[in-house]
Amino acid sequence: MLTFTLRRLLLAIPTLLVISLVIFLLVDLAPGSPMAEIPLTVPPDVRQKMIEALGADQPVFVRYFLWLRQFFWVEPASLIDGWFGTTLAEGEQRILSWQSRSPVFTIIGQRLPQTLTVIGTAYLVGILIAVPIGIYSAYRQYSWFDQAGTLFAMIGFSVPTFFSGTLLIIVFAVWLGWFPTKYDTQLVVNDWASFVKQIKQMAMPVMTLGLANAAAISRYMRSSMLDNMGMDYVRTARAKGMSERTVVLKHVLRNSLIPVVTVIALGIPAIFGGAIITENLFGVNGIGAALIGAIHANDLPMVQTLAFIFAVLIVLFNLIADILYGLLDPRIRYD
Amino acid sequence: MLDAGPAPLVQVRDLKMHFPIYAGIFRRHVGDVKAVDGVSFQILPGQTLGLVGESGCGKSTVGRAMLRLYEPTAGQVIIDGDDVASLPPEALRKKRPTMQMVFQDPQASLNPRMTLAEIVSEPLDEHTDWSRAQKLERVYELMDQVGLNRRFVNRFPHEFSGGQRQRIGIARALALKPRFIVCDEPIAALDVSIQAQVVNLLEDLQEKLGLTYLFISHDLSMVRHLAQRVAVMYLGRIAELSPSKDLYARPLHPYAEALLSAVNEPDPELAARRKRIILKGDVPSPANPPKGCNFCTRCPKVMDICKTVKPDLAEVEPGRMVACHLYTSAAGSTGAPEANERNQQGETR
Amino acid sequence: MKLRAALMGAVAVLGIAPAAFAERGTDGEVKLTFPQAVSIMNPYLSGGTKDIYASSMVLEPLAGLDPNGVLIPKLVTEIPTLENGGISEDRTSITWKLLPDLKWSDGTPVTADDAVFTWQYCTHPEGGCSQATKYEGVASVEAVDPQTIKVTFNGPKANPYTAFVSALSPILQKKQFEACLGAAAPTCTDANNMPIGTGPFKVTGFTVNDTVTLAANENYRDPAKPAFATAVIKGGGDAEGSARAVMETGEFDYAWNTQIPPDTQASMLAAGKGQFVVAFGTLVERLETNTTDPDPALPEGERSTAKHPHPILSDIRVRTALSKAIDRSILVEVGYGAGGKPTCNVIPGPEGWASDNDGCIAQDMEGAKALLDEAGWKDSDGDGVRDKDGKKLKLLYQTTVNPIRQDFQALIKDWWTELGVEVELKAIDPGVFFGGDPGSPDTFQKFYADIEMYANNSESPDPESYLGQYQCKNAPTPETQWQGENINRFCNPEYDALYATMATTTDLAARQEIAKKLNDMVTKDSMIVIPLVHRGTLSAHSNTLGGVQINAWDSEMWNVADWFRVK
Ligand SMILES: Nc1ncnc2c1ncn2[C@@H]1O[C@H](COP(=O)(O)OP(=O)(O)OP(=O)(O)O)[C@@H](O)[C@H]1O
Ligand code: SF4
Ligand SMILES: [Mg+2]
Repeated sequence: MLTFTLRRLLLAIPTLLVISLVIFLLVDLAPGSPMAEIPLTVPPDVRQKMIEALGADQPVFVRYFLWLRQFFWVEPASLIDGWFGTTLAEGEQRILSWQSRSPVFTIIGQRLPQTLTVIGTAYLVGILIAVPIGIYSAYRQYSWFDQAGTLFAMIGFSVPTFFSGTLLIIVFAVWLGWFPTKYDTQLVVNDWASFVKQIKQMAMPVMTLGLANAAAISRYMRSSMLDNMGMDYVRTARAKGMSERTVVLKHVLRNSLIPVVTVIALGIPAIFGGAIITENLFGVNGIGAALIGAIHANDLPMVQTLAFIFAVLIVLFNLIADILYGLLDPRIRYD
Repeated sequence: MLDAGPAPLVQVRDLKMHFPIYAGIFRRHVGDVKAVDGVSFQILPGQTLGLVGESGCGKSTVGRAMLRLYEPTAGQVIIDGDDVASLPPEALRKKRPTMQMVFQDPQASLNPRMTLAEIVSEPLDEHTDWSRAQKLERVYELMDQVGLNRRFVNRFPHEFSGGQRQRIGIARALALKPRFIVCDEPIAALDVSIQAQVVNLLEDLQEKLGLTYLFISHDLSMVRHLAQRVAVMYLGRIAELSPSKDLYARPLHPYAEALLSAVNEPDPELAARRKRIILKGDVPSPANPPKGCNFCTRCPKVMDICKTVKPDLAEVEPGRMVACHLYTSAAGSTGAPEANERNQQGETR
Repeated sequence: MKLRAALMGAVAVLGIAPAAFAERGTDGEVKLTFPQAVSIMNPYLSGGTKDIYASSMVLEPLAGLDPNGVLIPKLVTEIPTLENGGISEDRTSITWKLLPDLKWSDGTPVTADDAVFTWQYCTHPEGGCSQATKYEGVASVEAVDPQTIKVTFNGPKANPYTAFVSALSPILQKKQFEACLGAAAPTCTDANNMPIGTGPFKVTGFTVNDTVTLAANENYRDPAKPAFATAVIKGGGDAEGSARAVMETGEFDYAWNTQIPPDTQASMLAAGKGQFVVAFGTLVERLETNTTDPDPALPEGERSTAKHPHPILSDIRVRTALSKAIDRSILVEVGYGAGGKPTCNVIPGPEGWASDNDGCIAQDMEGAKALLDEAGWKDSDGDGVRDKDGKKLKLLYQTTVNPIRQDFQALIKDWWTELGVEVELKAIDPGVFFGGDPGSPDTFQKFYADIEMYANNSESPDPESYLGQYQCKNAPTPETQWQGENINRFCNPEYDALYATMATTTDLAARQEIAKKLNDMVTKDSMIVIPLVHRGTLSAHSNTLGGVQINAWDSEMWNVADWFRVK
């Protein structure tokens, strides 16, 4: 397993380098200019100066290699500086956002907490809702519960979060006045009152995303359960005279969870990616909102860095999913 | 039809297993797959009943319904005095140790995430209050019985060969000291060389432990060797149920005859006499079986009556039961089918 | 005149004085929300209005503009004028006098050196300063003494109130930004995000594109202000969400730029928690006509250049007919509601600068048809499309992707179709359209279409530089890498000559006369520009927030020091 992991990690390096170049070229070739959001009242020569100050007029390969150097050397070095008070990255240019002129990694650091809390909780809630629904739906296939579950999943799939989120806002914020519509990223949870506040402000985005997540995962769970339910070993277990609980929860569920767990693991990079629409709608201002904002502003360093981090996470979690599969399913061995 | 001697251990009476078919957006009940449609037989303690027939005729379903792995639609399955088909859940669970099953696909029937020890001892967890050591001891004992090396105790199913896996399946079935075992094509998925080993193992165990088997197979020669009596199934019903010697020497039912004609006959004399019968057409769908005799669409000896009246399984010779109008009329039975037949003949005239 | 303006400004400020009965910091927190989050608190590195408005709560210019577009002193004792000697007779310099005892929020004194530094900061060739135009024509800025700032121009300057005036051109603290000159400017993250200022608030926390937290500046020159102890600006989401947070849920006190459909405006208003306020500046949604031929058959480099006059639109009768066929009131109703008014001008305000031109307001379909008939465009083959000499009256009409603009396109297409004009619509990603990439065929400057629609405005109440756009020399051409603001390639020597006189005219009334004439020359006289809607910025404030005075000429937060909680 260890050699497998190491080999896969080594293999990932050239893959990621190619990905980074492709992303860079794609982002660079995308139409639009970093000046598109600047009002028309700023005259062309000033715009040109601004572009030069950003370094956006340099040839694409110069900028790409600069970015590579910044990403793989300057940023880690400045991280180490931050930890140990060294001066490795002194005088080096960190990756700066064109839009805000702040270091991209500072922005990511500011945004990751709310993305992870909100989107991560939503994912967790989604899983917690989906797994029991999936299990019971499969166990009682075609019962009214299963039909209701199918309907729920269909709604979760087909209703865009933009719509469900707005609906929640109208019901819970405008009519009932229970929850705030704008997420306060500055809230520090240090006592019961602030904790309640945090729960309240998370409620609606978590519900919105949780529904969407639960829809997908409950379907996976159900079909995986159904696949296993008909297997002979389940009959064997019944024939052994095991209780129904044991049969379903031990034999069927454990085997059914293998593919579901990998699907869940593969979905985790998406948590880091945030949820663009939901984040925007509720003012969560996490990574998703940063990405879309950067795309709108043609903020190449930000888009490039985020996209590349996602690529890294996707590669990483693919590996983790494979390893998990190996750990969970004794039939799979990588050595 | 009754053999002299002990009372039967297993008695199946008019067992039916219909799977509902749902269709359309509202999943309306539009019909049933009559996988098993009125099957009756009995097995004496320590004996083996062979159950043969083409693929899809309902053999496995009979086995599973008998052990209540399916909820039978109708009928009784009396095993050691209890009607398994109608036992309440808890009583059924307690009953389970007496009746076990060995499956066709040894790979699929073993939980891939459990080790041999876990698989074999799991029923012990459920049905005994033994200590760990006792259970482990029992696992070793079973492994010895089925001829598995004790070293393998912590391996997962995929780490075994097919034959070894089937031995695990057998060990598992034996764990609770059952009296009755349904062997659902236990050798079909194995290499010919290993088949004999497993069959011999089953025979040895039967002898040693006094087990009663329902042995499902489409390998007629294997059944002949193992079973005292053999039931031939066709489309959810038993066509003939005879002592295996008689059946192989002289099949009575036209379907049994056709089936056996395809078997290599070791006795050259018998082989010379036998002519190979090739059946035409396909097996009808169990969802929509013919109105009369289930075999009437393909029977070489089909008569008019066969197309309208279902023949019942009846004893036509001592110890031999056949469901065919050829014999019911010849035997001069006065059963209802006969009356029907007359009526119908009356009508056609 | 200038003096009067200054006095009026002072009176206006005093007029809100009742709020000042409160002590500083007694009204708790004021919460603002912007649909676009604040990226940076240094307006010199951002052109974004959101950033300029947010920073205006902290950084202040020497003088600002009030809701009427009138100059008001901020950090100075008075507005320099010719009369008070603040402006030199030859109009080549202006001298500002700082208020005595003025302090930065860190307690250090504000001196003329800070202003000198600010000028150096923005004019550094490698700094990429987005407000460089503010310092155009400035030869030097000197600290005559710690209290006196003298700005010298390259020549006589008709409008000397550019440098250090309005939220676009505030004073930076030299001490804080000294190391941030030129290429180093973007790297000073802390200074850019948490600048030290003189305004009523100081930054206490900044998360990029998300939240700015502020607290009352204890060194603010008016000891009774601001009434609020803290302020927070939360960004992100969309206009509707921002408006809702003020108008329906009451979570926020003020939402800037809540441009939402008229029917949503009405339903939010019904909740009774707040109100909408509109700042009408000079933003005009308009149709620009192309005076040159964008025919794709022309060789690249000649397409949409003065070499080939437009075959259809060169005729003023056609342009006029197109304008007459439009019902601007319906456009306003559909697109902007309270946030817009029909207009026929490119300079719709402030009052005094706007021409009284309103001839286009009433739709005149018959008149439009008659004009086209007269111009020889007749539907000779009865297919509903007019033609002349075998050429169809067919126009390509482009704009950016934007729901309101697509509604406008559809409505205008209907009217023009009724007129007998075949219209092809095109919608371009705003990033591309305004991106100015000379390689793209879809930029608004390249204008590879017959008509295009967008909005533009003058950044200052005095529209001199804005009107300069229509000079012949400003036409985008291949030679200028398709840069230039004269999108229509309008070329009228009379216009250029009149414009030249504006630069030397100092009398306000005379300047206003010239501006009106120039406005008319590109609109009603030539119909080169077809103005549609005078757009305001719709903002919302809670009924519990007092002191809000919407201002189109400066930051909407221009008087945030006077805001208070209605109890
Ligand atoms: N759960 C089920 N639902 C619906 N139909 C079923 C189900 N199980 C079996 N059947 C149908 O019942 C019939 C009998 O199936 P069964 O598995 O008993 O056949 P078999 O004789 O064991 O065949 P084989 O020799 O291939 O194992 C088949 O037509 C099959 O399609
Ligand atoms: S009853 Fe008729 S059809 Fe059926 S097996 Fe006998 S002869 Fe053939
Ligand atoms: Mg079978």
